[in-house]
Amino acid sequence: MRESGFAFFSALTVHSLAMAFVVGINFAIALRLIGFAPRIEIAALSRFYSLHWYAAAFIFISGMALLLAYPAKALTNPVFYLKVAALTLGLLISRHFQATFFDKPKVTNDRQTINLAYVSVLLWVVTLTAGRFLAYTHNTLLASRYF
Amino acid sequence: MIEILLSFSQATGIYSFMNSPWGWPVAESIHFFGLCLLVGTVGLFDLRMMGFAKEISLAELHRLVPAGVAGYSLNVVTGIMFLSTAPDQYIYNPAVQSKFFFMLIAGINMMFFYATTAKQVKSGTAIVGVVFRAKAIAAISLACWCGVIICGRLITYYRPPYHWCLWC
Repeated sequence: MRESGFAFFSALTVHSLAMAFVVGINFAIALRLIGFAPRIEIAALSRFYSLHWYAAAFIFISGMALLLAYPAKALTNPVFYLKVAALTLGLLISRHFQATFFDKPKVTNDRQTINLAYVSVLLWVVTLTAGRFLAYTHNTLLASRYF
Repeated sequence: MIEILLSFSQATGIYSFMNSPWGWPVAESIHFFGLCLLVGTVGLFDLRMMGFAKEISLAELHRLVPAGVAGYSLNVVTGIMFLSTAPDQYIYNPAVQSKFFFMLIAGINMMFFYATTAKQVKSGTAIVGVVFRAKAIAAISLACWCGVIICGRLITYYRPPYHWCLWC
């Protein structure tokens, strides 16, 4: 991974593409829950979750590849843990929304759901921002620095 | 061209902001946020036109597109900030040139959609030929935005003067 420019770039590209789809789908569903385009059936919109979970799997696989390429760079950086925590919580909220709305027409969104949609947007913004800041905040690139 | 862009950046304070400790990553984060909004609205509309989640009315899903336009606006603003702060790193970069090419195709494709197909698609009265055209337009749009993301990631790997460009 580290020595092949193509492999590293490919993992980075797949990670970005998959992240764009996961965050994009979550933004769309959150926008609907918050009140945009109220005539779209939430149950129908949540069909996009099937695509979302495929993209999430690609985030995990490419993320693991990037982590294995430069483990010290990520694991010594607190921003990495912030990204992983926000990503995990964001996906848990996605799972909750999917369980609540998928194939269940006539479900109305209450105040608690709307608040959770705002939290979801916030978590995805934190995930994106932390992801970008990872490249600028690391102190250690290689573990060999300690040997 | 480079001098004009740099002068603009310096005169507007963009240059100082982008060269502050967190200016560049903040702009990059906003740039990717805008792109996600675009994928989550225009991308989902494209997927729906291609036949995904047929239960959703295209006219209703189209109501989310303004959020995608807002995301695109964020991309334009932050994109200008990148370009004007380090024009030599962008203008002669083949990844940036390819990214602009995909954006151009996506723009022409969008204009073609609104001129020829949008009305029938949104009203749900599209006949077979129109449906096929709509699917082709959606596939081109989605491919272009994926191309934009891929080229965006490639920018850092093709920094001049070590790499070729299309016209130099």
